Amino acid sequence: MLKAKNKLGLIFFPAFDWAISPTHPERQERLLYTQDQLVEEGVFDIPGIKEYKPDIATIADVERTHFCFPDVKSILTESHLVSAGGAIKAARLVMEKREDRAFALVRPPGHHAMKVVHGSRGFCNINIEAVMIEHIRENYGRKRIAIVDTDCHHGDGTQDVYWHDPDTLFISVHQDGRTLYPGSGFTDEQGGPNAIGRTVNIPLPPETSDEGFLYVLEKVILPILDEFKPDLVINSAGQDNHYSDPITNMRFSAQGYARLNELLKPDIAVLEGGYSIQGALPYVNLGIVLAMAGMDYSYVREPDFDKEAIRQEADVTHYIKKLSREILDRHRRARDLVMRGMPGNYFVRKKSIYYDTDGIQENQVESIMVCDDCGGVLKIETISSVNPLCLGVEVPIGACERCKSEGYRILEEAREKGKHSHIQFINRKDREYLRF
Amino acid sequence: MLLGIDVGGTHTDVVVVDGKGVRAAAKVVTNHENLFESVNEGIAVMLREVRPTEIGRINLSTTLSTNAIVEGTTEKVGMIVSAGPGIEPGHYKIGDHYHRVEGALDHRGTEILPLDARQLEKAIGACKKAGITSYAAVSKFSPRNPAHENAVRDALAAASDFVTLGHTLSGHLNFPRRVATAYYNSAVWRLYNRFADAVEKSLVEYGIRASVNILKADGGTMPLAVSRTLPVETILSGPAASVMGILALCDIATDSVVLDIGGTTTDIAVFASGAPLIEPDGISLNGRPTLVRALRTRSIGIGGDSLLRVNGGAVDVGPERLGPAVADGGVLATLIDAFNCGKSVTHGNVEASKKAIAELAKKSGMQADALAGAAVARAISAIKSAVDALVDEINERPVYTIHEMLEGRRITPARVYAVGGPAEAFRQGLAAAFSLEVTVPRDYSVANAIGAALARTTMSIELMADTEKGVLIIPEISVSRDIPGSYSLEEAGEDARRYLVGHLGKTAPGERVQAEVVDAASFNMVKGYFTTGKNIRVRCQVKPGILEEYGKGVRQSC
Repeated sequence: MLKAKNKLGLIFFPAFDWAISPTHPERQERLLYTQDQLVEEGVFDIPGIKEYKPDIATIADVERTHFCFPDVKSILTESHLVSAGGAIKAARLVMEKREDRAFALVRPPGHHAMKVVHGSRGFCNINIEAVMIEHIRENYGRKRIAIVDTDCHHGDGTQDVYWHDPDTLFISVHQDGRTLYPGSGFTDEQGGPNAIGRTVNIPLPPETSDEGFLYVLEKVILPILDEFKPDLVINSAGQDNHYSDPITNMRFSAQGYARLNELLKPDIAVLEGGYSIQGALPYVNLGIVLAMAGMDYSYVREPDFDKEAIRQEADVTHYIKKLSREILDRHRRARDLVMRGMPGNYFVRKKSIYYDTDGIQENQVESIMVCDDCGGVLKIETISSVNPLCLGVEVPIGACERCKSEGYRILEEAREKGKHSHIQFINRKDREYLRF
Repeated sequence: MLLGIDVGGTHTDVVVVDGKGVRAAAKVVTNHENLFESVNEGIAVMLREVRPTEIGRINLSTTLSTNAIVEGTTEKVGMIVSAGPGIEPGHYKIGDHYHRVEGALDHRGTEILPLDARQLEKAIGACKKAGITSYAAVSKFSPRNPAHENAVRDALAAASDFVTLGHTLSGHLNFPRRVATAYYNSAVWRLYNRFADAVEKSLVEYGIRASVNILKADGGTMPLAVSRTLPVETILSGPAASVMGILALCDIATDSVVLDIGGTTTDIAVFASGAPLIEPDGISLNGRPTLVRALRTRSIGIGGDSLLRVNGGAVDVGPERLGPAVADGGVLATLIDAFNCGKSVTHGNVEASKKAIAELAKKSGMQADALAGAAVARAISAIKSAVDALVDEINERPVYTIHEMLEGRRITPARVYAVGGPAEAFRQGLAAAFSLEVTVPRDYSVANAIGAALARTTMSIELMADTEKGVLIIPEISVSRDIPGSYSLEEAGEDARRYLVGHLGKTAPGERVQAEVVDAASFNMVKGYFTTGKNIRVRCQVKPGILEEYGKGVRQSC
């Protein structure tokens, strides 16, 4: 009889009554055929695999992670709280050692949601992995966490949330931004001044096959993970690198996804994108589940699988090898390559962000205190087509005294001047969360 | 008049019920070597009280199939399995004649790979050589398209006495469960049919011209003729008989807990607004999950005869039963003996109980009263935590819509019903532990036979319609027909009800049935940005209940 080698918790929440719109890819039946496949395979009966109901994330869970304007309730629906709650449940199962690993097969997804949220972009409102990670840190202590984002689209939201966090390693492997939404995720994006090298981008060329993905996993991702020594590894398990995905151009297969998870050994996986709902998701999800449970997945194959048709061209292989060397080199020399500035000064970026799903335009000025002692106090002034000027201030976990008092100084000054329509203040050090 | 028979492990209980209540009841000792003899004897005993022509319906609960499977006295089955991609089907091997044939269907029932006729022929040849005539055919996703299973049946036409086709067992997806269920069905088929023949012959001899129905684990019945091709549905009907008995005796309307406290075990069931809850997928037998619908019950090793032991000052109760209580002439002190040290309820030889408890206490350096009290407390708390765990499991069951996630109903038991030999002794302790009223119905000693007698026909079907393909299928009753592109969820609900009622009208005529749609969903299928069709799924059932015209007579003030 079958048995899971690793005890695996599955949070399966297909949200059968929720869609962005009736013909939008992010719609009701996205996980219907995955459910059919998992149930028909008897996955939920396998000893060592157990299905759980999601938690419902709270407003506080969202508010400790994001700056939401005008407020949390305006930028999300209940479905997002359930989806983030599914990820939180996965984390709790692992942190409380009830399961060895957990996989949250939930929707809607979250990895395009950035630190500041005015609405929905890339089908995402809140970043469900980030909400989960900050729930972990709030309840189980400050952890070193690595996120490996294997969605075909650059995880620009997660990158933005953790751009300044030295405790989080974010690695995104995706289709090159010159050929796909959201058009970012290049090798020179390596993290902010206090977290240099904590962001690693691996932009793969179109038509990368299993061979290429597994190559960068073994040559780039695993060595960088080893060096970071995370307490937890999280896989943002997007499935749109699949050769049958309608909105991307890659050649990854269910076998490849399973092998990737077998090698990566994530403690927690969270479903992200993937819109080949009949031809890919049922098999990719089954492969990931079996691989995470430490079981044989060799018999998992798409009905139309044709090894020859998805073979990787020699020039693609050559490009990936060269790219891998470049990324490793950049990662080693990150401190020489990224401009940092002197501690005690602000490092300022201006950002212009488009929310494709909701059609919102946002402009930001982000200032981070360059700091040798902590993640640095963060200040973001933001204005969008739906909100007048707003302010977000964050004092990070483990903030030094200077950054903490600087946070309160910014807050008082802003309140005196009164030019912001909404102010959100996050003090992770003392768990003080304010909104004005 | 109804005749109810529950063949149990120790006793076979029989009752005759008419519109005014229980007319006659008896217990005969079960003959393990020949269960039919127990049934026959039970009927004979009742015929001393009533005339054969008065009996209009016989409902029978038997452990025949369960025993044969558990004891391994079933016949060998030629198992023909085709799987397609996924988990390697060799993992679900059952029996010694498990043959894999290439062929695959996908989740919508589309053929990916035709069934390999040569491999099939080879498999059949091997089975023939082994002298097999009972077969089962199961393919992955067969409830979505039974073509491959039907092809196996056709290929076996000359070689087989019987073939179980996986899709006829349930419309539920779950390949490994389908494999096990189909195997068990074919494994007990011949044995069961001999039993059914004997029952029918015996009734003719007695001059009884009643309809005969067999109890299922879901608390409902099926006509004997139906059970001949679905004998696996008769497994584990024992706990269901008791639960249905309590439902008949007490007019349960609220969320409740039902405890059937026996000698070795306590069976726990949960009612939601007065209706017994069903296992989501099916019951397990011999460590194999199946697709056999069953009431959601849990069993724990606490009963009247549970052995008492003292370990370093802590008193343990069960799960072993090494013999009857000292009060009943046993040797070792059991839970019953501990109850006999209290004042509320006594049973059998109270003095012997007290002596046994005192001896055990002396050996362990305890006071007799303290030991008896601790044993009772331990037993009550074990039952309480098992009930809490079951209720939690029900309330924490996964749901798949935002609506259910936010508005989903939670079970909060408002009352406890207890039946079985030691139930009365447990009453006070349970009431204190649950802070709820505990009801012990009066006629509980034959509640199981009453439950069997009054159980109604049940059935569940799953309709699946694919408007892109233009087909509708109900695997359990072999319905397959074309539908137009405009086919709607409303029509599907109506059709499911109509087909179910129509089917029962043929197989169980004369019974008023109410079919209810329990799940209905319609999903758009989209290619690119255009809707190409709808994928409609409807689950419809006749849920377990009691025959109302007889219910009034047996009902008590609970």
